[in-house]
Amino acid sequence: MSTQGIAESPHKIELVIEGGPRPRLGQALRELWAFRHTALAFAERDVRVKYKQTVLGVLWAVIQPLTFMVVFTIAFGRLAKVPGGGTPYASFSLSALVAWTFLQTAVTFGANALLMDSAIIRKVYLPREVPVLGAVGAAAVDFIIGVSLFAVLAPVLGARFSVAWLLVPVLGVLLALLAAAVALPLAALNVYYRDFRYALPFALQLWLFASPVVYPLSVVPAQWRGLYVAANPAAGILDAFRRVLAQGTTPDVGLLATSLAGTAVLLALGYRLFKSLEPGFADLV
Amino acid sequence: MGYAVRFEEVTKRYPRGGPRYPSLRHELTESARRLGQRLRGERPEPRGTLAIDRASFEVKEGEAFAIIGPNGAGKSTALKLVSRISYPTRGRVRVRGRVAALIEVGSGVHPELTARENIWLYGQILGMPRTEIRRRFDDIVGFAELAHVLDTPVKMYSSGMQLRLGFAIASHLDPDIFVVDEALAVGDAGFQARCVERMTKLVADGKTLLFVSHNLYAVEGTCRRGIYMERGCVVEVGPVKTCLATYTARAGRHILEHDGGVLSVGSQRLRVRVRCEGPTGFPRLRTGEELRIVCDYESQGPGLRALFHFGVTDGRAGNLLLASQVVEGEASIELQNTGRVFCRIPTLPLMPRIYEVWGEIRLAQGWGNLVDWQPLARFVVDYGSASGEAVSHAWTDGPVRVHSTFWHEKVESLIEA
Repeated sequence: MSTQGIAESPHKIELVIEGGPRPRLGQALRELWAFRHTALAFAERDVRVKYKQTVLGVLWAVIQPLTFMVVFTIAFGRLAKVPGGGTPYASFSLSALVAWTFLQTAVTFGANALLMDSAIIRKVYLPREVPVLGAVGAAAVDFIIGVSLFAVLAPVLGARFSVAWLLVPVLGVLLALLAAAVALPLAALNVYYRDFRYALPFALQLWLFASPVVYPLSVVPAQWRGLYVAANPAAGILDAFRRVLAQGTTPDVGLLATSLAGTAVLLALGYRLFKSLEPGFADLV
Repeated sequence: MGYAVRFEEVTKRYPRGGPRYPSLRHELTESARRLGQRLRGERPEPRGTLAIDRASFEVKEGEAFAIIGPNGAGKSTALKLVSRISYPTRGRVRVRGRVAALIEVGSGVHPELTARENIWLYGQILGMPRTEIRRRFDDIVGFAELAHVLDTPVKMYSSGMQLRLGFAIASHLDPDIFVVDEALAVGDAGFQARCVERMTKLVADGKTLLFVSHNLYAVEGTCRRGIYMERGCVVEVGPVKTCLATYTARAGRHILEHDGGVLSVGSQRLRVRVRCEGPTGFPRLRTGEELRIVCDYESQGPGLRALFHFGVTDGRAGNLLLASQVVEGEASIELQNTGRVFCRIPTLPLMPRIYEVWGEIRLAQGWGNLVDWQPLARFVVDYGSASGEAVSHAWTDGPVRVHSTFWHEKVESLIEA
């Protein structure tokens, strides 16, 4: 699938479509950049469609994290007495839940994006990662609503405003990259084997409990923390969210860097897998 | 002028599409089986289905080009390769300029969104820049005739309205090459006429058009050149008339092999099989020869008094000819047990093409049909003349031949005194 000529300056450039070697990473990224507006259009469409014909509309974006916060606060905070690391358990859990909900929504919708848009995939050429990234972008809107919710509830929950909150957009981008890193290969495999579609909700559940959402990262022994975060990049980012939002402190730079490295590796591998499976999508979706 | 699209020895094999639905388990056992075959020194058969087999052809810039052929010839696959939706297994497709497809028009329109939102978003997804959409928004709405329901969710539309919206958006893209796959069976007659008009205008504006259709009439009207494909191979490249002639000849053989199998049409009371016969007994003849439409029947219970009503078409809507007992005012025929009804057209005035016989069998008493109006059989009018006239491609320019005479008069002045 080598394609010479870029869609940016499309006029009368010869395009060679053939089987065989995959395009280079740089070329793929340049093409993706040329299609950035299309990705935004997908995101905008997903956001508009999401809450059509619902009574509660955009409230759904906050209902899930809020409900889980209440349940977790009662179950883990009150009954099981999980430590909140010095912060009230409600703000302790909500700060991580807002981030986790973004990750979960982005991965779920991203992984199914190619199947949902099979009509377009079979009909129109675009780099196939565009709908996937669009779905991640659409989930980001929910995330912004979630963070705003946290800000509104902060005084009630016992969290303090802090300059550290300025880091939230950076962490959000990191989370979006992680979501894309997971969603891209899943979306590709979903086209080939629908098994992944059914395994996904279940796998996400397991991932939730493998990440420091209901419990603090400090329950992992200090000498294992680096390894844990490397194996589960979500852990470092979720912990950073909690430190920033609930505790108003700066994140643990070492752990965050480990998460970033893990995310980068996942993203590189995931994108590579995606691109190598891409030529067959339209034939199979 | 250079080419816009060029196929170089292109082969497309679909990886799956074998007899089984793909699953992980099947994939694993299949791979193991193949590995076993390799280890034993056997060569496993290539996987999947071959859709295009070493096809080479060229579409010139600014030309309306047709790809014709029977089902499964690889026409749609060829279009998918041009639009980069699918990739060739071997060989190369060269494309100069931007491609937009009108394949399955309207399938990307989102039902929950309004027409306004769909034009805005679907337009971008199809690759129209925002400024362009803003500029052409009113044109699109006008073309789709949806100004009065612009802010209604598309799911509330009739299916015709949805298709119109899809076609309106897709046809206002500004590519260099347009790829059209059976897209014109859209909407009512007025809208269809405007679709054809729009396509003609696109070609006039210098766009290249790649056209796939079973409707040979539409192909003939739009395209000058084309290819004829069969089972993935390019059989003929050249003027569209030549390709249609090849199609006629080849498909004729296909008709011989497949038509008139069983007594399938009809109800419990009556089953019929209809076939066409030329002078040789096969459903092919030449212009001016005798055509017989033969109807074998098998009737149960008491005799049924029936009237036969046949029409002949070449694929366009409506009939070119009518051969009808109803119109002729003939006495009805009693159908009892088994038998055979003949309809004879002594001098068939049809030119070389493939034709379809439609028909119904009416009950002579009371109302109701024994067999409803439907296609019943096909026949082919071949090139060649019964009377030994010279035959040219001009013969396919119209379906019905009327005998006409031409003469010439000299006039002094054409201005009336």
